[in-house]
Amino acid sequence: MSQWKLRKKSAVLLLASVMSLSLFGCGNAPSGDSAAKPAQDTGKASASGSTQAGGKLVLYSAGPQKLADNIVSGFEAKTGVKVEMFQGTTGKILARMEAEKSNPVADVVILASLPSAQALKADGLTLPYPEAANADKLNKDWSDAEGNYFSTSASALGIVYNTNLVSAPPQSWADLGLPEWKDAVNIPDPTLSGSALDFITGYLSVKGETGWKLFEDYKANGTAMAGANQEALDPVITGAKSLVAAGVDYMAYSAKAKGEPLDIVYPEEGTVVSPRPAAILKSSPNVDNAKAFIDYLLSDEAQKLVADAYLIPGREDVEAEGRTNLKDIPVFKVDWAWMNEHGDETAARFSEVFK
Amino acid sequence: MDSQRLIRKMGVILALFLLIISIGVPLLLIFWQSVYPDQHFDWLAPLRTIAGHELSGVLLQSIWLGVCVVAGSTILALPLAWMMAKTRLGQHRWVDVILMIPFMTPPYIGSMGWILFMQKGGYLQQWLPGAAKWSDSFFSFGGMVLIMSLHLFPFLYLLLRDALIRIGGNLEEAGAVHGASAGYRFRKIILPLLLSSYGMGAMLVFVKTIAEFGTPATFGRRIGYYVMTSEIHKYISSWPIDFGKATSLASVLLSVCLVMWYMQSTISRKFTYRLVGGKGQRSKRYSLRGSKGALCALYIGLLLILSVGIPYFSVIVASLMKLRGAGLSLDNLTLDHYKELLSWGSVSQKALGNSLGLSLAASTVAVLLGTGFALVIGKSQGRMQRVIDLLSLLPNTVPGIVIVVGLILLWNAPWMPVTLYNTYGMVVLTYVVLFLPYTVQYVKASFTQIDGTLFQAGQVFGGGPLLILRRILLPLIMPGMLAGWIMTFTIASRELVGSLLILPPSMQTSATYIFAQFEQGQVSLGMAMAVVSVGMTVLLLLLVEAMNSKRKWNAS
Repeated sequence: MSQWKLRKKSAVLLLASVMSLSLFGCGNAPSGDSAAKPAQDTGKASASGSTQAGGKLVLYSAGPQKLADNIVSGFEAKTGVKVEMFQGTTGKILARMEAEKSNPVADVVILASLPSAQALKADGLTLPYPEAANADKLNKDWSDAEGNYFSTSASALGIVYNTNLVSAPPQSWADLGLPEWKDAVNIPDPTLSGSALDFITGYLSVKGETGWKLFEDYKANGTAMAGANQEALDPVITGAKSLVAAGVDYMAYSAKAKGEPLDIVYPEEGTVVSPRPAAILKSSPNVDNAKAFIDYLLSDEAQKLVADAYLIPGREDVEAEGRTNLKDIPVFKVDWAWMNEHGDETAARFSEVFK
Repeated sequence: MDSQRLIRKMGVILALFLLIISIGVPLLLIFWQSVYPDQHFDWLAPLRTIAGHELSGVLLQSIWLGVCVVAGSTILALPLAWMMAKTRLGQHRWVDVILMIPFMTPPYIGSMGWILFMQKGGYLQQWLPGAAKWSDSFFSFGGMVLIMSLHLFPFLYLLLRDALIRIGGNLEEAGAVHGASAGYRFRKIILPLLLSSYGMGAMLVFVKTIAEFGTPATFGRRIGYYVMTSEIHKYISSWPIDFGKATSLASVLLSVCLVMWYMQSTISRKFTYRLVGGKGQRSKRYSLRGSKGALCALYIGLLLILSVGIPYFSVIVASLMKLRGAGLSLDNLTLDHYKELLSWGSVSQKALGNSLGLSLAASTVAVLLGTGFALVIGKSQGRMQRVIDLLSLLPNTVPGIVIVVGLILLWNAPWMPVTLYNTYGMVVLTYVVLFLPYTVQYVKASFTQIDGTLFQAGQVFGGGPLLILRRILLPLIMPGMLAGWIMTFTIASRELVGSLLILPPSMQTSATYIFAQFEQGQVSLGMAMAVVSVGMTVLLLLLVEAMNSKRKWNAS
């Protein structure tokens, strides 16, 4: 993740060329923040028109919108803080943060990919909050011990199939390379879908270099790389394709609950669980509200909302609903550190294989 | 005379200043990032990025696609423009409004419509199971060219039709009197007079094609055809974000477009004629009877079916479906999505309002500014004017997302005294910058063909500058302004890429709402929104068309 740092430095120098004073502002975060704050607040006041007693919070959230809406209204009802939310994919959120880095506005981000949160921490962009209530109940592997990020929910990856077209679903990842499923499989693009990248890097972290054979077999069998998760899933719902490899389970569960002809299997050999981390940004103008929001995300109430959205709750003491519980999903022993380091090159090589 | 020259000079300087602030500086900031990647200045960084990524093939694919789509839309637009300008069919103004629909449709929705229609198990195969063979040949490069041509040909059509109307009947009649056959008249009279407008339109189509993202992202990805914009978007919207690389690629795209612009402006200068003179002119309209008329009507009908009918059939059907997995049948249809969409006070209803307000504001500002710029550029070939011309065209030659990033870098900089970022104003500014070229192009096309003797005549008869402006200039460039306004409004109301990055949090437009629904798996709800917002735009355009139905154009 040194690229991020380099870019940051180049941006600092860029600004310096325009106005040398700003160099100090960027080099020294707290003073830079206080300098940027007044200007920002006036901009906000004209944008939102009113300021409430509880103040406000700017949230950038990836993932299911219904869940985010419910969490936001729950938090607003509880604290009186007004939440302004930007909803998008992990990539869009990171792009927006990059564009705004000289004058950040976001307080809290919720991403759909653990390595991106690890990268934010490594670049010193997160604000640690080790005192967060209930943080000790979170799954240890997915959250930062120093409180830089909290995985408050997770999804597991499986083989999603159209029940009208598939009567005997494949039971292992390798089965999707069989002639039976020629030209019938979609796989999400790991450069667009954080969870698909988690699956691929997770699989490779377990199988090593030989793991690539699986994806090469997929390609040889006519598997199509098809955009982000929903774009990969939609052709399966309409019947143009039969299965999704590395499909996100909560999307399949909620479509199934609506009545669509879908179901999911988790291959017995194991799969990858993709946690969805939330983090407070160091540049946050409303730190107290941001902390309160993290506390709310970890509360019983919000974890219940997570379960209602067919996601795996981040807290180990909360049960999932209407879906397979985490303890019943066969999981690979993945190496998150390796996955974080090799994400970029894996995505690039995967794209080469599927081009 | 001197004071007039002074005003003109002031106008040039003002235009230059505005353009540099709104377009020049953001692009320079972007360019700066691409040549300054690593704490030291490096002119070759963009070139190395391209060499290191084997992108020459992708670049060639982009250009080839552009060429094919220009050819495709010419084949579609030219006969139509002739029919609408020169035959009685031109009285059917509603055709124009319907032909605007492909424009109002976000490109990814149009492609989705085609995909849903043609794919395996799609709507066509549910009707005609034997159509499976067509499906394979449709999902190919040819299909992509067809979809994009059907989406972009209205650009060319509008320009060509207006040019044909301006040519009028008398030139052709003169040719006919002197014994020229129809083919000879077309070659020697119509074609040279059309070239300038055609060059402009073809360039617009070419640039739009290679800067287009929606169709490559949906259809292109499916057939494995990658273009420059898909690579640029990869660097901007997916991890790891790298504006430096994206901007390097964008500058290559920019160079290609500049070469096109240069070629086009050379051609235009060579083939610009003064068509609108003091003499009254009437247009000649052929009345088509019998088989010829039937053929023309058939052509228009077929074009309407292909460009609007099929995609919208899919979109509307998808918006009505209860279960997307259950296929086409009456008991699988429901109006629930529309009910949810239009319920008062809902997110979707606010998004519609935002879209409407933003695009009204943006198109009005853009038309005022763009007309000013076009008049300043005028017919003169001074260096300043050409710089203005180039700057006002730039937003059309650079992928929208690059400009948007540049605008954010500029307006969100800590040293910027005005806080525009994250406000309503920023969105309007972005739309204006992105869509300024349309008004400039349309007004310029009208203006360059006005004979200067008209203004001299006005002065001879004692008309002051204001009177000349009001009674001579404005009526003559009005169609151009109106076309620019309509174009800006329709495109702004569906703008997606910029809106995704620039809208303040908690604010949505219909386009971002649709996109969010697709991301969330609520395809039906997204399609319903597309139908509603396009329907609203059509109604508004019909209203404008009705008010404008007494065209003053040929009345003089």
